[in-house]
Amino acid sequence: MIISEAFIPAVTSLGAVALALGVIIHYVSKKFHVEEDPTVMLVNEILPGVNCGACGYPSCGQFAEVLVETRDSSMSCPVGGSDLAAKLGKTLGITMAEPKPQIAVVLCQGNNDNARQTAEYLGIQDCWAATQAFAGPKHCRYSCLGLGSCIAFCDFDAMRLENGLIVIDKDLCTGCEACISACPTGVLVMQEKKAERYVIACNSHDKGGPTKKACDAGCIACQKCVKVCEDDAIVIDNFLAQIIQEKCTSCGKCIEVCPAKVNCIRLEHDLEEVKQKNAS
Amino acid sequence: MKTFKIGGIHPPERKLTESSAIEVMPVPAELVISMNQHLGKPAKPLVKMGEQVKKGQLIGEADGFISANVHASTSGKVKGVKPHPHPGGQYAMAVFITPDGKDEWAEGLDTEPADWRSFSQEEIIAKVKDAGIVGMGGAGFPTNVKLSPPPDKSIDTIILNGAECEPFLTADHRLMVESPAKVVAGLEIISSLFKGEAKAWIGIESNKQDAIDALKKHASPKGIEVVSLKTKYPQGAEKQLINAITGRTIGQGELPFDKGCLVQNIGTAVAVYEAVCLNRPLIERVVTVSGMEISSRKNVLARIGTSFKDIAGFCGDISEKTNQVICGGPMMGKALFTLDAPVVKTTSGLLFINNSAVEKSRERTCIRCGKCVDVCPQSLEPWLLANTAQLRKFDEILDLGLMNCTECGSCTFVCPSKRELVHWIKYAKVLVNNRQKRKSA
Repeated sequence: MIISEAFIPAVTSLGAVALALGVIIHYVSKKFHVEEDPTVMLVNEILPGVNCGACGYPSCGQFAEVLVETRDSSMSCPVGGSDLAAKLGKTLGITMAEPKPQIAVVLCQGNNDNARQTAEYLGIQDCWAATQAFAGPKHCRYSCLGLGSCIAFCDFDAMRLENGLIVIDKDLCTGCEACISACPTGVLVMQEKKAERYVIACNSHDKGGPTKKACDAGCIACQKCVKVCEDDAIVIDNFLAQIIQEKCTSCGKCIEVCPAKVNCIRLEHDLEEVKQKNAS
Repeated sequence: MKTFKIGGIHPPERKLTESSAIEVMPVPAELVISMNQHLGKPAKPLVKMGEQVKKGQLIGEADGFISANVHASTSGKVKGVKPHPHPGGQYAMAVFITPDGKDEWAEGLDTEPADWRSFSQEEIIAKVKDAGIVGMGGAGFPTNVKLSPPPDKSIDTIILNGAECEPFLTADHRLMVESPAKVVAGLEIISSLFKGEAKAWIGIESNKQDAIDALKKHASPKGIEVVSLKTKYPQGAEKQLINAITGRTIGQGELPFDKGCLVQNIGTAVAVYEAVCLNRPLIERVVTVSGMEISSRKNVLARIGTSFKDIAGFCGDISEKTNQVICGGPMMGKALFTLDAPVVKTTSGLLFINNSAVEKSRERTCIRCGKCVDVCPQSLEPWLLANTAQLRKFDEILDLGLMNCTECGSCTFVCPSKRELVHWIKYAKVLVNNRQKRKSA
């Protein structure tokens, strides 16, 4: 048969090549075998594998290598939180330090209703491109520009644009800090997650008058919250109130005295809301 | 007729104010003098609230090597020192002055015309520095720094830039027609700083024949050559003008003095003359107020610090159809976000336009037609730069000659897909700088 005549040399020649290559590969794999620590593999499997860089190492793999080598219990993966820390501790036979979960916070409430606009911006819809053209579409030059450059930097889809302001999904934000450097006005900061976290959601260092003119939700540095706070947890720095989280006892007195049209002090329930969401 | 060799476009000229004489604008009710009117570090304010100042008094001191002095444009009382919108789009420290109406010069200024030949080179450069003169074409580079190139570079060509290639603008044009003697004197002062056989040229585009004639009369007897250039944008860019007149090419990363050239703006030459011979600091400049949406278009001589609102008031009514006000020319100028911004040393024009015909968010994909490559005077590939910027590949973009782009806007002008090519390039420049800063930090 013509078919089998053509078939035989093809199969034999390819088979011979495959056999030769197989022998070479086998030899190379034996000769250049790299001893790999099985615990590194195990740790690597536990880690989330998103390579976000929040731990300070470029990838999850490198974090695993260093952790297994040093057995440093203070190392932590902010993305995984306490569950992951417990798993890691179990694998390595050490007690890992309880990680302090962080969350990204937008220090601005200047959405399209609260903040006054300067001019309509028609250029490239990107915060950095807008700052190239002018101080920003909002009167307040410290505000969230509302063009969403940070969204592309978030590996966890935790950011979205709502009515001209960035909103962070507390459930999805892992505190990896990738968005912080993506913001030209520095309106994004990291804060530790708390059951009751009071935050002054304003970034304006302008004096009271200009701030009030620019935004309904701006901190005018009126000192009312500073005076009412019994724990000295609020300070005014350069015409902007700031809450020192370590001192704050979450008494909630400050929120009652804030005179701004839209209260610039906000109460956030980082842990409860997430729990509720998970439960439902 | 001479012109530069690579690229270039010919946008509609629209020189609506070319035959209207410069009008002196009265001092407004308030002056806002920005401390950031030049390239480099902003000046340090020297006055405080409540202080009395005289016209021409130093109110902002140059802070560093690349910085310039700032002077009070009239006499009056300082109302405050605080950040204020700057025509560049950002906020900058500014001194607010309420004029007292006397318009009194500070002591020792505005003297009888002196002969510049009686001053030494050092004295001339010191006078230019004290007067706070910067390049008035747009970049605002301190003139005294430009006039003292490194000692190992020899300057053999001095060019006065009368190209004024931007549509609408006629400030330099009117200055050349109305005070050619001052322009030529300024150029003579600048040339006197360079020993030897420095040849002086004045390059003017052929659409300004009256300016060419006026300057020829004054310049030819002094051995200065007035060159008529074929009208083409961006002829007024330093590198392109040098190429058009001398045929030399300024390569990537090179400065004009590397090729023995020095380019100065017409307005700067007049300011140099006034500073050296009349002891007048730079406190006023010619601004073209034009565009289709303002009732009377004028060239006004305005004090530095006059707000754009006052200028618009002086020039009549703004039509309701105005939806964009541009500071500078339509090609390289910036759209303003507030009319509170003041005139600074580099403000050449104020245009009131209606571009509602231009669609919003109009960018479409590149169709690889290559028009931007054809017109780029710097031999770059704007489409590729924009694509790379969009993909945030900031390591590769430097190899594509990002820093060689002069942001002239020719590519954006011709792009049939209406891509914001220059804006993407500017965006990349900012982010590349940020990365470099972060790396070195």
